[in-house]
Amino acid sequence: MAITAKIGDIFTLQKEVDKYRPIFYAGASGDFNPIHIDAEFGKMVGLGGAILQGLCTMAFVMQTVSEWSHDPYKVKKLKVRFAKPVLPEDTITITGKVTTIENSTARCELIAKKQTGEEVINNAYAEVDLG
Amino acid sequence: MAVDKKFIGKKYPPVEYEVCKEKVKEYATAVGDLNPLYMDEQKAQQSRYKGLIAPPMFAVVYTKDAVAQVMFDRELALNLPMLVHGEQEYEFVDVVRPGDVIVTEAYVADIYEKGDKDFVVAGGISKKKSDGSTVTRGKWTFVIRR
Repeated sequence: MAITAKIGDIFTLQKEVDKYRPIFYAGASGDFNPIHIDAEFGKMVGLGGAILQGLCTMAFVMQTVSEWSHDPYKVKKLKVRFAKPVLPEDTITITGKVTTIENSTARCELIAKKQTGEEVINNAYAEVDLG
Repeated sequence: MAVDKKFIGKKYPPVEYEVCKEKVKEYATAVGDLNPLYMDEQKAQQSRYKGLIAPPMFAVVYTKDAVAQVMFDRELALNLPMLVHGEQEYEFVDVVRPGDVIVTEAYVADIYEKGDKDFVVAGGISKKKSDGSTVTRGKWTFVIRR
């Protein structure tokens, strides 16, 4: 199913990070780095607690794009920069914007922000097949 | 100490991973993406995929052990307590489904310095064992503070 998209289209998704999300993600992904599952360790290394795995936040970004595209494998490429850590009980808002369309591929610039407005993912984009 | 650029291009042994539907469900649940294509066999049957698929980002799971070889390479000797995951990219070339056996080969894609930081880029190419076709190409950028 073709996607109707035009330059300037904006899409968004909000994700709440509950207290135990890093532990669920550790189990599912195998990333048991102590900075994700041990709040005391996280504080000791200056992160302010146990932080969410960056790749989990990237999965939120992927969900945002794939809900917009209605088909996850229409997303051909996803690139992100992890700007700041995400902590349990943060609320993350992901926003995508179509910036170019060429050869039936849309390039969407992406950004993820915390409830404070701080950017947690930036310099991010997806390439989506519109065909 | 800067990471030696001579390791650019170094390759690591392939790592196999068999995708299973229960692990896919567990992953989708953990990231809170409850798309029926990942979870609901009947609905997935009626879709254009004609069966369950893995979320594209499930690549994280089947590429993990391959790329860990770069992180924990004693020759590279990355200073892990000072390492953060700076950037990530994946190209999704083909659909991955439960039952697929995925073979990932990791390599050192790049090593460079910027300011007082070292950057090590690990690459990983994942293919289906059955026919050798590529499913994903990944790049992990690790930033190491000195």
